[in-house]
Amino acid sequence: MAVSDAVLNYDLKRAVHPNRLKGLWRLMRGFRKLYIAATLSLGISAVAKTLTYLLLRYFVDDYLVAGSAAFTLPAIAIGFILLAGVEGGFSFLSGKLAAQTAEGITRRLRNYLFDHIQRLTFTYHSRMETGELIQRSTSDVDALRRFFADQAIGIGRIILLFVINFIALLQLNVKLALISVVVVPVIVGISLFFFRKISKAYEDYQTQDAVLSTTLQENLTGIRVVKAFARQEYEIGKFERDNWEKYLRGKKLLKMHSLFWPISDTICNIQILVGYLVGASMAINGEITVGTFLAYAGLIVWIIFPMRNLGRLIVQTSTGMVSYNRVMEIIRQDRESLETGKHRPKNDILGKIEFEQVGFAYDDGNAALEDITFSCEPGQVVALLGSTGSGKTTLVNLLPRFYEYTSGRILLDDIELKRYPRLFLRQQIGIVEQEPFLFSRTIRENITYGVGREVPQSEVETAAKAAAIHDIILTFEKGYNTLVGEKGVTLSGGQKQRVAIARTLLKNPRILILDDSTSAVDTETEAEIREALQNLMKGRTTFIIAHRIQSIMDADLILVLDKGRIVQRGKHNDLVRQEGIYRQIYEIQTRIDDELEKEIASVA
Amino acid sequence: MSLEYFEEEEFKTQFNGQTLRRILALTRPHWRWVVGFLVTIALVSGLDSVFTYLSKLIIDDGILAQNRTELYRLLIIYGSLGFVQASGVFGFIYLAGVLGERVRYDLRQKMFNHLQGLSLSYFSRTPVGWIMSRVTSDSERVADLVTWGLLDVTWGLMNIITAMGFMLFINWKLALIVLGILPILFYIAYEFRKRILGEFRTVRKMNSKITGAFNENITGVRVVKALCREDANLEEFKALTADMYRSSYRAAWLSALFLPSVQLVSAIALAAIVWYGGWQVQVGGMTVGGIQAFVSYVTFMMWPIQDLARVFAEMQHAIASGERIFSMIDAVPDVKDLPGAFDPGTIQGDIEFDNVTFYYDDGDQKPVLENFSLYVKRGETIALVGETGGGKTTIVNLLCRFYEPKKGSIRIGGRDYRDYSLHAIQSRIGMVLQTPHLFSGTIRENIRYGRLDATDEEIVEAAKLAGAHDFIIKLKKGYDEQVGEGGNLLSVGQKQLISLARAVLAKPEVFIMDEATSSVDTLTEALIQRGMETMMKGRTSFVIAHRLSTIKRANRILVIEQGKIAEMGSHAELLRKRGKYYSLYTKQFRHQMEQDLDPFSQPEQLATA
Repeated sequence: MAVSDAVLNYDLKRAVHPNRLKGLWRLMRGFRKLYIAATLSLGISAVAKTLTYLLLRYFVDDYLVAGSAAFTLPAIAIGFILLAGVEGGFSFLSGKLAAQTAEGITRRLRNYLFDHIQRLTFTYHSRMETGELIQRSTSDVDALRRFFADQAIGIGRIILLFVINFIALLQLNVKLALISVVVVPVIVGISLFFFRKISKAYEDYQTQDAVLSTTLQENLTGIRVVKAFARQEYEIGKFERDNWEKYLRGKKLLKMHSLFWPISDTICNIQILVGYLVGASMAINGEITVGTFLAYAGLIVWIIFPMRNLGRLIVQTSTGMVSYNRVMEIIRQDRESLETGKHRPKNDILGKIEFEQVGFAYDDGNAALEDITFSCEPGQVVALLGSTGSGKTTLVNLLPRFYEYTSGRILLDDIELKRYPRLFLRQQIGIVEQEPFLFSRTIRENITYGVGREVPQSEVETAAKAAAIHDIILTFEKGYNTLVGEKGVTLSGGQKQRVAIARTLLKNPRILILDDSTSAVDTETEAEIREALQNLMKGRTTFIIAHRIQSIMDADLILVLDKGRIVQRGKHNDLVRQEGIYRQIYEIQTRIDDELEKEIASVA
Repeated sequence: MSLEYFEEEEFKTQFNGQTLRRILALTRPHWRWVVGFLVTIALVSGLDSVFTYLSKLIIDDGILAQNRTELYRLLIIYGSLGFVQASGVFGFIYLAGVLGERVRYDLRQKMFNHLQGLSLSYFSRTPVGWIMSRVTSDSERVADLVTWGLLDVTWGLMNIITAMGFMLFINWKLALIVLGILPILFYIAYEFRKRILGEFRTVRKMNSKITGAFNENITGVRVVKALCREDANLEEFKALTADMYRSSYRAAWLSALFLPSVQLVSAIALAAIVWYGGWQVQVGGMTVGGIQAFVSYVTFMMWPIQDLARVFAEMQHAIASGERIFSMIDAVPDVKDLPGAFDPGTIQGDIEFDNVTFYYDDGDQKPVLENFSLYVKRGETIALVGETGGGKTTIVNLLCRFYEPKKGSIRIGGRDYRDYSLHAIQSRIGMVLQTPHLFSGTIRENIRYGRLDATDEEIVEAAKLAGAHDFIIKLKKGYDEQVGEGGNLLSVGQKQLISLARAVLAKPEVFIMDEATSSVDTLTEALIQRGMETMMKGRTSFVIAHRLSTIKRANRILVIEQGKIAEMGSHAELLRKRGKYYSLYTKQFRHQMEQDLDPFSQPEQLATA
């Protein structure tokens, strides 16, 4: 059964609810009918099972004992097969429907989370830890899947089995039925008691498992250190301790299991024995027939033994509840809209930018930028110079509306920035970071990542050549189809940067943001990267975050930032004549050359 | 991430009896436990059949015969045997469970111990993730086979045999009909199990792909946003979850179909019993209780059968796991003590590389070092400079005897170092790595790693010499501060200082340092420099150098290029030569000065990591 788009695209934000059970019910929106059908099938299957025992009763009483059955032997035999067919068929149907429900809900949840997370604000992402987000999107989602696939349906199954078989027992004999369920609360209680402990012990066991893995991993990644200090014995001792602790915790967990099962067995057995005693006595007294006793003996098993699992399922349900909260915590967050904004020009922008007393403050009121005013014409280069935390990065992050300025205004081609939809703005802006992030895809896919159209190989190669990375790519065995990352080649910082440059060249944005700190790059490749960057900057309004003067001497405007404010501004020639930080940096350059001369002279 | 990736590697192996025997042999030291759980499970299993037979007697001899005394007697037997069985259940869960944990423990320890003896070459060609999943998941699978697997087989076989026995006793003709159905049942169950197992493997693979997709999209969210890839990424991800939906649905579908199918086959057996048995009762060949017993035996029979099928399906994977484990345990270290290796008591003598050629075994075997010769006098400081990949690290690796020369030899104190024991060499070499590796635990424990019997005073002394003391005491818990996993609670500079202190404490006879390229603030840099000087005083030292001050201080500078010494001499000599060293030096000089003098460079806050 195909699931409709309306169901798949249901906004899960509506499943946020303070009452977790209600929230889980809302998560099932669109799948509820399936789920109810699954439960009904389960019921029918249980009824068929019960009927099998009643047929057995009929067979024994009316056929074997009285010999006056209305049905022939083959008919009864076929009856058994039919009932088994119905039981099996509906049990299969129920499993199938339950799987459709659980997997369908999970799939929708995964899709939603994936999309939701990539559309959350920058502020949220810088606040949340990556590992935490990943864990919630995977382990917690899986815990919810188990809730829908196993626990909810499992609990339903046990309750249905109980109700249907109890009704059947009542039909057989009321007194016998009532005697048979005395033990049920005891069993449920004991099972809850034990499984609370078992789940605690299991957690301890898993924690120790994580500890052991860490110890192992540290040993393996630090094997050179281990060998260099000849600490093999010590390491063995350390691992042995953690390993033994895991053994002990496993033993504790097992002790719990080895107590629970025989104890609950014994209780169930006592109940059954009492049932047998009463039932058999009644049969001898003629209060019930032999067939009734046989049916009773069969049914009682299905009332009592499944109850042992109820505790486990209930305890596990609480895990699902916790996961619900953790997942909803993400879904509750607001997305940033890519489409809102009325001004959407048909053509590309020109790239004229004006900042008018722009300020930016974080949610906690801390100002990161204050009173930023400057302007630049299309195609000009603006360089930002300043220490870490001076606000350079924050300033450029305002342009693609990663952050929203909190005071003043920014004009792009004379229109206020906030009137442009984010999507449009970001298509017009290219960013090359200092340590660019590449995806575990092929180099080709990484270069064409942001283009959004089919790119012919020749175009990819032209971009790669202009980015001075083409030759390096050809040295790899699979060329452009080489995978990047763990399962492929590891690129150096400089190589990554050049792939990012090629990527941006293909995107062909009107505005460019460059993080030009080449500290991660060794001196060899610096010149090549500089050339690649020159190619990239041609004809685009460019913002350079710079650490050094050489790369920005030609800039049309240099802004020196300190603590979120502009402290110096102008062109290189003006700034070197002024007293200030800029001149200090510039003078260092000449000082280095002097010192190098001295150094070489001293040895000559 | 990577762990899951390696876990899901495909291993298609044929049934291998030798490996199976070796896996079973793992329990030999604990054979009493094995006997214990086999006996208890056989008891529990046999009693199940007895109970059914008792029910038959209750019906025939108690109810139908209207014999109350017999009924009470039977119920008392039933009850007492119930207690016996319960204690049996306790016994087998405890024995098999604890034994399972024990076998896991043994396996992990055995693998770990063996790993410690393997050479560096093994670790450079085997990914950490691969080893990790051998030690963690493969050990589980193998241990499960020799405990729960063995237990299930015993339980199932015992159950079937005893039930068959009782059935034959009650009515042998009917029993033979049941016996005929058994292989069909087993075949269906086995085929199902195999397929279900396969489906679940696909699901796990898909699952790690999904985790990977989340991981990448979250870590790369800036790029995603900047390049407006949201919609395209969602489409890709939707395709992934659609695949996931299909495979998990298929797995669930198969699982849901499995039991009903087996049940249906037993229902046919049941019908046969009713048909044939019903007729037999009339002719007197069978009692009502007998029929009831047959019905119980047959409906119950599917459980042992499906258990057996499961164990056989899983066995192949467990054997594959076993093979991987044994392949690791059987790996022989490339570098090991030669017969008669001894500890000379010191390795302070001159060190000589004599015509050493070396290549790594993986890949194209292109020599990294070729006919490399070098004579280092005791106490000399050698600086190794040159491009990455030139062979500097290899020289150091050979000196530490992590690897041995393929041709030529290395002599310490005039004697081939292969005559000495590995421990003799490695325990006297102090090493500081470029990316310092710390272990989870406190700072104190990490420094003590250099010499395990060092007192707290000696540790403080070493930290002072290394220049680490000042920042350590500024931490809240001082020396007892936790460093985090891999030391990640500390900054790079702090980690370097601690690993330096660790080397200082070891009082090595030869000192090796791979200088970090990543820049730390000037203050930390100065501390590290001072610490290094302390170490190099009076010790033969090899430094893979990046800092100018280190290079200048060396007695000799070696410019290593393509596995050969391109230039060699003192700083002044080489500068005068205006060759490779000259250009390397001037470039480095500019680079470093720019960094040092940068008014924007923020000193790393040592005290607040």
